[in-house]
Amino acid sequence: MGSVSLEGVSKSFGAIKVIHGADLDIQDGEFVVFVGPSGCGKSTLLRMIAGLESISHGSLRIGDRLVTDVEPGDRGISMVFQSYALYPHMDVTENLSFGLRMNGNKAADTSERVRGAASVLQLDSLLARLPKQLSGGQRQRVAIGRSIVRKPQVFLFDEPLSNLDAELRVQMRVEIARLHHELGATMIYVTHDQTEAMTLADRIVVLRAGHIEQVGTPLALYTDPDNQFVAGFIGSPRMNFLTGEARGHVDGRQAVVLSGQGDAVVEVALSQPLPSGTPVSLGLRPEHAQVGSPGPGTFTTTIDVVEYLGATSYLYSGTTTKEPLIVARQGVHTDRAGDQVVVGVPPDKAILFAADGTRLR
Amino acid sequence: MRQRTQTAYGFLSPYLLIFAIFWLWPIIHSFYLSFLSTRRQPWSFNPGMTWGRLTQDPAFYNALWNTLKILAIQVPVMLTLATLLAVLLNSTLLRARGLIRFAFFAPVVIGEAAYAAVFRLMFNDEFGIVNKTLEGIGLDAVSWFSNPTAAMSLIIIAVTWRWVGYNAIIILSGLQSIPQDVYEAATLDRVSPRQQFLYITLPLLKPVIVFCLVLSVIGSMQLFAEPYLITNLGGPGGATETLGLYLYKQAFLNLNFGYASAIAYTIAALAVSISILNLWLGRERS
Ligand SMILES: Nc1ncnc2c1ncn2[C@@H]1O[C@H](COP(=O)(O)OP(=O)(O)OP(=O)(O)O)[C@@H](O)[C@H]1O
Ligand SMILES: [Mg+2]
Repeated sequence: MGSVSLEGVSKSFGAIKVIHGADLDIQDGEFVVFVGPSGCGKSTLLRMIAGLESISHGSLRIGDRLVTDVEPGDRGISMVFQSYALYPHMDVTENLSFGLRMNGNKAADTSERVRGAASVLQLDSLLARLPKQLSGGQRQRVAIGRSIVRKPQVFLFDEPLSNLDAELRVQMRVEIARLHHELGATMIYVTHDQTEAMTLADRIVVLRAGHIEQVGTPLALYTDPDNQFVAGFIGSPRMNFLTGEARGHVDGRQAVVLSGQGDAVVEVALSQPLPSGTPVSLGLRPEHAQVGSPGPGTFTTTIDVVEYLGATSYLYSGTTTKEPLIVARQGVHTDRAGDQVVVGVPPDKAILFAADGTRLR
Repeated sequence: MRQRTQTAYGFLSPYLLIFAIFWLWPIIHSFYLSFLSTRRQPWSFNPGMTWGRLTQDPAFYNALWNTLKILAIQVPVMLTLATLLAVLLNSTLLRARGLIRFAFFAPVVIGEAAYAAVFRLMFNDEFGIVNKTLEGIGLDAVSWFSNPTAAMSLIIIAVTWRWVGYNAIIILSGLQSIPQDVYEAATLDRVSPRQQFLYITLPLLKPVIVFCLVLSVIGSMQLFAEPYLITNLGGPGGATETLGLYLYKQAFLNLNFGYASAIAYTIAALAVSISILNLWLGRERS
């Protein structure tokens, strides 16, 4: 019913190509999140699914219908905008019912649906208010309500929470998760926010410069990224990348010399041996870097800045060099700027990338 | 007074002086004049010759009636055209938008005499392009300057031509302040372009259109140049005589300043009351 499938979908604005042949299959009822740096084409891709932007090449199916050239209103989708896009001169009831009324829906059914949406989103007491008399969170709930009353197969969200303050964002995030659970509809959600992506998504689509870099569950992207871009993009604070060079390969472990860390030699699990001297980038998440005592597979570095967050502390080193390093340390410690720490690299947590950013497995 | 304030008023004083002499004083003095009989020297206090005369002067009622007729026909026609024009000018399909916008705005900056002369030529009974065109398509020529109805239509056409672009530009600025995503949301709601115009664009433009309406009402109440220049002082036989023109005739042809002042105050009072009515009708819901 609410499946969405893109086949070689491209978009050009004049001579500028912004989406390069996207292939994606979204299951009915799935919650898919688009993430990627600003300008990578998330909104454009979403708007193409909505029909607000034409599709230059390729085909789009919603359910089992080919909708590449179908009018936006006939695609069985609805969209929630970052700016809410409420009708400013209509009160909440009118905002919710406008589309239905314009399409000759029966009055009884319309008010039934409006009542339903209002109670799901706790808008009952606000029905007679104009948008300008609502807070940001309330406006966003009305915008979501407006898409619910249409009973679409697919909900599209373009950064719906980015205009809200942090606390409200968390509340609305939970609300959207609950809605997804209750309605069981397919949802496609664009966001900048790592936490939103990780917590809401069944699968995350990482975009870069109009290309889909990787599609997978939040955990898969986090633990097993396909390339250096995805590895760096998913996770906060970001994954550390240490420059190195391959040495010997023994027992499924690749020895790597870290040229930026005093030529320390560490080992990383790798099935395919690399020729000695191959330049690599070693990816190590801050929480996987182990502070410990000197020994094989460790290196020493000087702390520049410490951030205490309570249960976790972030130690920053090499901040002025080409190879900054962040170490997340659990528990309460008394590390200070200027201290030397010994950092261990666990072989089964670190991952390797070739010089062109592709993952080495 | 504080030093800074004094300095500020010092710099403002030339303007304030001119304002007082050429604005404030005439306004106050004409109110006083409106109670004087000024038909012959010496002027004497006699409101019966001014305010009293107003209530029973058929020429005044003719001018009032003409003015209200123009107001009732010209303003709605012009604002409708201006709104459609604004939508057109806002269209992304339009090429050379800047040039076209200027072209529609240009009539406002053209001198009144030049524009009146062109209209007189175009609507000339014998060799004007309008009658030639009418004859060319098999219709009868119209006596634009001697038929009262035709003369009235001519005034309405001329005023509309002159101000429609100006109003369209104001309405266009209103159109451009409506966020695009509202229309996108409506498109996704399966609302047709026609419904979007009727139920989104028009209601959101209401404040701007009411603003134009008030400006146009005030303009119509003062309408002077067109009947003066195009239809020969409100001809034929007073058929296009407006309040503004009647005021001018009383003041500067008959030199009856007392009566002219009473007419001036009546025009102002009418303009203010109609404008207040407009604003009240166009008030925003809260
Ligand atoms: N109407 C347009 N004409 C030309 N280029 C456009 C147009 N709309 C978007 N682009 C370009 O397409 C690219 C993708 O834009 P898009 O808005 O999809 O990015 P995004 O990933 O949503 O970014 P953000 O996170 O900042 O919202 C950008 O480089 C943008 O400049
Ligand atoms: Mg965007």
